[in-house]
Amino acid sequence: MILQVKNLTKKFSAKGGDFTAVDNISFEINEGEILGFLGPNGAGKTTTIYILLGLITPTAGDIFIFEKNLETHRQEILQQMNFTSPYVSLPYRLTVFENLLIFAHLYNVPNPKKRIEELIDLFGIRNLRDEPVSHLSAGENTRVGLAKALLNKPRLILLDEPTASLDPQMAHEAREILLRVQKEERTTILYTSHNMAEIEKLCNRIVFLNHGRIIASGTLMEVTNAILREERKEPALEEVFFRAVKETKI
Amino acid sequence: MKRKRIAAVIERHLYDIRHNFDRLFDVLYWPVLDIIMWGFLTIYLSGKGVTGANFKNFLLGAVILWRIFYSFSRDIAVGFLEEIWSRNLLNMFASPLSIGEYIEGLLVVNLFKVILSFAITSLLALLFYGFNIFPSSFPLLPYILNLLLFSLAIGFLVAGLILRYTSKIQTLAWSFAGLFSPISGVFYPISVLPKLLQNIAWFLPSMHSFEAMRQILAGGGFSPIHFWWGFVLNLIYLALSVLFFKKIFEVARNRGLLVKLE
Repeated sequence: MILQVKNLTKKFSAKGGDFTAVDNISFEINEGEILGFLGPNGAGKTTTIYILLGLITPTAGDIFIFEKNLETHRQEILQQMNFTSPYVSLPYRLTVFENLLIFAHLYNVPNPKKRIEELIDLFGIRNLRDEPVSHLSAGENTRVGLAKALLNKPRLILLDEPTASLDPQMAHEAREILLRVQKEERTTILYTSHNMAEIEKLCNRIVFLNHGRIIASGTLMEVTNAILREERKEPALEEVFFRAVKETKI
Repeated sequence: MKRKRIAAVIERHLYDIRHNFDRLFDVLYWPVLDIIMWGFLTIYLSGKGVTGANFKNFLLGAVILWRIFYSFSRDIAVGFLEEIWSRNLLNMFASPLSIGEYIEGLLVVNLFKVILSFAITSLLALLFYGFNIFPSSFPLLPYILNLLLFSLAIGFLVAGLILRYTSKIQTLAWSFAGLFSPISGVFYPISVLPKLLQNIAWFLPSMHSFEAMRQILAGGGFSPIHFWWGFVLNLIYLALSVLFFKKIFEVARNRGLLVKLE
């Protein structure tokens, strides 16, 4: 097992009292699996990802990544992980190549320059290689972020809405690259997206969160049938999304 | 691997200096402007006959040392701000990089900047105004070390406050060290201060460095009392500021502030 989350809870203190962003959730990801992490805005997806990266301390619960406790083996674990999110960026005055080189060194990537050139070709960003990040469009930034996420050939990647700012063609190409990497290197991926069709194309299993709680988890068909309470022949995640959000409204 | 990560932080900030005119200005522009302006003042006052024998040396020595103190503390805080401004803080700390390694890298870069700034301003003072600080550099070294330690403590304090209260208070990076200048006796002996401020000044390591600098430039030799007062105070302030920063970093992770910084 690559990732095991046990009874994870995160409460934030707010003026009106404690706010529970993540409420006693447990889930696992097996090696080579792509797990879709779904839920409306504020469901607790991004908070969970930040907890898994050690950027937010959980209030309770345990996280085991590569069968090691994140709390006690943070550096060792993060060495073999990576992530990207539209909410983060890279130093904007530095060029794409300089940024990738810095992160290659941070992750101790062997033959960093060769690896960077491979990724630059893989994501079709050769024309951007020596451009400052500040000159890039949102879509170009996303592709650079994805290249950064694959630099260290991570065993586990956390991708928070990675195709949010890509046009349909670019998003399709990015998904194809991710699928290829996942197949060739047995990379495990935790994937969040608001694009239900994308989740249906990519993910083996999904975890559906709302108000910090898991309201359904399983294969696409299991979740579709459980939430819609009828036997369907095809996954229907968009319908599932609307139904689940409506029924769990507080 | 730890060394590689520290080297990556150094690399990140060196690239930034290369691309960012602001950082180049910080290292060269203001220190050079200061030395030129204060140098002309010493010429003017010397012409008026209102100065003592060491007046020029004291003033230019103070400008050079003050720049070291001010720049070092500012650049620690600005280093963090750079990550916040570019929304890169999460990328950095979601990597295997630890906060300690990040700070070590930042210190090396800033030390390099301080040495560069010191060399340029000292050279200009020699060329334009005949003030040669280099023969005094060796005896001044312990006091410069004390200035750096104190500015490091201030840098940690300000960086911690920015982590806690976000870039809303980023102006502290440029202004906080300045708070200590009136009672540190940068350009005048603290004997001119009211008694109460003189007593407070004894608890500022910066005051001990500037008083000792004047003693050395006047040919008075090493002052153990000013060195040890400054050094022991620095050990206390540095320990407190590191504890404060570590605590704030934990609080930031706990409250989710690290992911909301902007």
